[in-house]
Amino acid sequence: MILLAFIAVTLLALVIIILSHNHLRMNTACILQALIFVILTAYIVMFRQIPVESFFIGSEYFFIDHLGIFEVGIATIIFTCAALYARGYIEGLVESGELEKGSLKLFYVAWTLLLLVIVLAFFSDNLALFWIFAELTTIISAMLIAILSARENIDAAIKYIFIASVSMLFTFVGFIFLFEISRTSPDAGSLNWTDLIQHASVFPPGMMLAAFALIFIGLAAKSGIFPFHTWLPAAHAKAPSAVSAILSGVLLNVGIYGIIRVYAIVHQTPAAGIVAPMLMLFGILTVGIAAFSMLPQKNLKKLVAFSSVENMGILLIGLAISTPIALFWMLFQIMAHSLTKASLFFSSGILHRQYAGQFSSDTVDDIRDVFRLQPLAAWGIILGGLAIIALPPFPIFFSEFFIMLQLGAVSLWVLVITLFLLFIAAGALGYFVITNFTKVSGPGADDDIKHYHTPVSMKIPIIFLLALLLIIGILLPHPGMEFISQIVTELKF
Amino acid sequence: MIDTSTIEGIIRILFVGIIITAAYIISTRNLLSVVSVYAVQSLTLVFIALALYSLEGSLVLLAIAIITFFSKVLIIPYFITTIQERIRIKRDIEFHFLNPTTSLLISMVLMLVIYMVLSRIMQGTPARESLFFFGAVLGISLMLMGMMVTFSRKRVITKALGFLSMENGVLLFGLFVTELPFIIEFLIIIDLIILVLLTTILSVGIDSTLEDYHQRLHRFHLWEEPGEDS
Amino acid sequence: MNVDFILYIAINTLVVLAIAPLFVSMIKKVKAWTQGRSGPSVFQTYASLRKLLTKEVIYSPSSSRIMRITPLITIASILVAALFVPLIFVPEPVGGIGNIILFLYLLALARFFMALAGLDAGSSFGGMGSSREMSISAIIEPTTIIVFAALAFVFKTLNIFDMVSRMAPGLPAAPTLILISISLFIILIVETSRIPIDNPETHLELTMIHEGMILEQSGRNLALMELAAAVKLTVLMGLLINLIVPLGLATSLTLIGILIAVILFVIKGSILAGIIAIFESSMAKKRFFQLPSLFAMAFFFSTLIIIIEVFS
Repeated sequence: MILLAFIAVTLLALVIIILSHNHLRMNTACILQALIFVILTAYIVMFRQIPVESFFIGSEYFFIDHLGIFEVGIATIIFTCAALYARGYIEGLVESGELEKGSLKLFYVAWTLLLLVIVLAFFSDNLALFWIFAELTTIISAMLIAILSARENIDAAIKYIFIASVSMLFTFVGFIFLFEISRTSPDAGSLNWTDLIQHASVFPPGMMLAAFALIFIGLAAKSGIFPFHTWLPAAHAKAPSAVSAILSGVLLNVGIYGIIRVYAIVHQTPAAGIVAPMLMLFGILTVGIAAFSMLPQKNLKKLVAFSSVENMGILLIGLAISTPIALFWMLFQIMAHSLTKASLFFSSGILHRQYAGQFSSDTVDDIRDVFRLQPLAAWGIILGGLAIIALPPFPIFFSEFFIMLQLGAVSLWVLVITLFLLFIAAGALGYFVITNFTKVSGPGADDDIKHYHTPVSMKIPIIFLLALLLIIGILLPHPGMEFISQIVTELKF
Repeated sequence: MIDTSTIEGIIRILFVGIIITAAYIISTRNLLSVVSVYAVQSLTLVFIALALYSLEGSLVLLAIAIITFFSKVLIIPYFITTIQERIRIKRDIEFHFLNPTTSLLISMVLMLVIYMVLSRIMQGTPARESLFFFGAVLGISLMLMGMMVTFSRKRVITKALGFLSMENGVLLFGLFVTELPFIIEFLIIIDLIILVLLTTILSVGIDSTLEDYHQRLHRFHLWEEPGEDS
Repeated sequence: MNVDFILYIAINTLVVLAIAPLFVSMIKKVKAWTQGRSGPSVFQTYASLRKLLTKEVIYSPSSSRIMRITPLITIASILVAALFVPLIFVPEPVGGIGNIILFLYLLALARFFMALAGLDAGSSFGGMGSSREMSISAIIEPTTIIVFAALAFVFKTLNIFDMVSRMAPGLPAAPTLILISISLFIILIVETSRIPIDNPETHLELTMIHEGMILEQSGRNLALMELAAAVKLTVLMGLLINLIVPLGLATSLTLIGILIAVILFVIKGSILAGIIAIFESSMAKKRFFQLPSLFAMAFFFSTLIIIIEVFS
């Protein structure tokens, strides 16, 4: 029944948005929707037995287990922050004429629907259903990218749609394979993950390998893994920053989530012996491509977007190690990366508003006097950057540290290569920050930069997320750790 | 009741129809005819589903035939034609990477490869009967051919058609290999319709030759990259 | 060589000569209809051939002996090739007659001499036509070979007689027949220089191929060349028709059987002529460099047939 509550809240928010005429009210509806989602999630975590059994009466398509609720928790928190951020950000877009007033309603309708669809995707037990919801997230988020209706945005959105949807069709074929495999098992055919994981050990490895390879194509494209990452930088850089945060913090997780689920099934079969090195290879290639693309990058949002690609690569490596500890820290990294990346996109969004269109073309950021003009955003980028390159006490440090430790146990050479690539990525980020943030325009040139007045609603999410990251990183709260280790046991690692 | 071998013969003929339409979609440069050929291809799929229905008697197949008919034979082609009239583009002569001839030759090789791979993978599964196996091979081939269309054309609207033809391939594969619950098939169709709506509307922005749309875009300073021509 | 076969030679050659001009004008007629004209009578080609036969032959002063023998060689090789495709009556094959590879070579021989004659007179149009014709035939050759190989694979024989009479070891299934017919149709269009490859009706210098080569021919020789073209069309049409729908082919020599076969063949041929005409009307002439995509289609389908035959 809880699922109905999610749907009902969304419907209510939709009604409010459709009926209201001013931006603030629409935005408030979105914030409230996300907040209620957070509360519902917290309620499930605290007061319900997880995995929730048969809570959606008469349907075998949905379920809630620890992994699902974990992802939903991350998603709802980021959505709440992003909705709050959008309050000031979208207002600015409307004022500068980049977003038409008439598109506002469409924007917020898509926004609310996106949250619902993502939550439903994480709660789907049936993999085909998960596929449909994942596909819908592509379409809706593409709509959010294209909403600015500049040609580049439409280009980016279309590239995103075609790459993601075309690859997702392969995933669907893979699911059909999986279904066919499950029909040979004692329990007649089913695509429900809970059934599949139970019978996984008897599945024929050959077909399993084929099925995983096909499924991997689409989900890799969703989560921006090499060689399907090409849509990601353009889409993330062109989207409104509030949307970029969601794309990077939540939507990439949808792909990774699917990969984890399916890999958990493969892990039960001998096919894992071939699949794991494959994942490792793709992970390292992804990190490598991202690191070398970051080096010459002149655009802040693209830089941050490539950093997401890099982190997806790390997640894949963590999954490929496939020890319980590696999986544990990989899940931790998912959370840490999402929160950090969202805050980074929020900060770069402020800088984008400050500098875009005044001096620079869209491909190069001309940032100067940043500490005088936007001190919060500057510190947000610096702290977020430190967090994303895994310095203690930020949480990514712990996850990357332990993943690398585990990787060293697998192969020392791979570890060295990966560390080298991570170093390059960190260097690229640091180089960008140092060169750009130290630029100060000479005396007398002060007048030509119009100060962008940052609304409070855009500042709160950054501060909140950074504080949250610090708290997690310093305290490493025990219940949370316990929670993640339950996911690991549920995935049967 | 017609006997099984007749129906299997009919299905084989319909397979050929699908191959012909796929080859046509890959190699033609005329946008208008691509849409109608796509409709014909979907119609062929409907007939295949009906033939399978008369063979197996499962109601899901009948339902699939019906929704496929309404969505892919009627609604989607109609919608795309309307958009095409709006953007006034009739020919698609720009290609990335592959021109139609090469794509045709490549797709031939692909079919062979798929045949070999599938026959290795599907050894010993119930689907390894000749007719159903051919259906599966054809489904995947159609999918890959659609993918080549999607990635080798520059016009968004042809890309969308390539994607749709890919989806037809998936449907064909699904029909012959296994049987999914109806609700899933239905949701996929919904998903497809939304996707087509979105991409075609966006394609008005990209493919459009209408002057006013460009002027509207010019107003935003976001669109001033050098070398952008359209 | 038995009596049956000698009779077959006589009948087949007579029928092909008699019917060929009819089909040519039939295509013209249907094309005229689709363009909203009434068009010339279906017997027009007979009349113009008769007229040409009575006219005097003029040779260009720079032309050599090639120009004089080409019409004869062309019509001879095409008529021999016509023997390879039984139109109304299928006897037991004798010797190499009916061999599909020899058939191709005979067509190629005619084409070769036509191209030579085009060059021989030294006019620029003739040279252009020859060079285009040769380029196209170089491109179409692999496709033709593959299509005929597919035929051989399907029927498991190289003899057209066996294929047509359905006495061959292999019998094609309906889907294969559809694919074969499309491939053969494309070959037919290319070999007989029709739209979208060439336009048989114009003498427009930019587009003409076949007409360019025979531009220097006149009088009796021109009549022979045109007749050869018509016979070639009929033979290829006959090949397509009798492979796909061999209905009504006589296998024994009775007068009634032959009569019925002739009537049926004319009907089937007219239908195919109509299809060709409609196909031509619905196409525009393609640019030279786009032609391979048409050939690729035939190539694709025939290879598919071979794949299916080999693997299942």
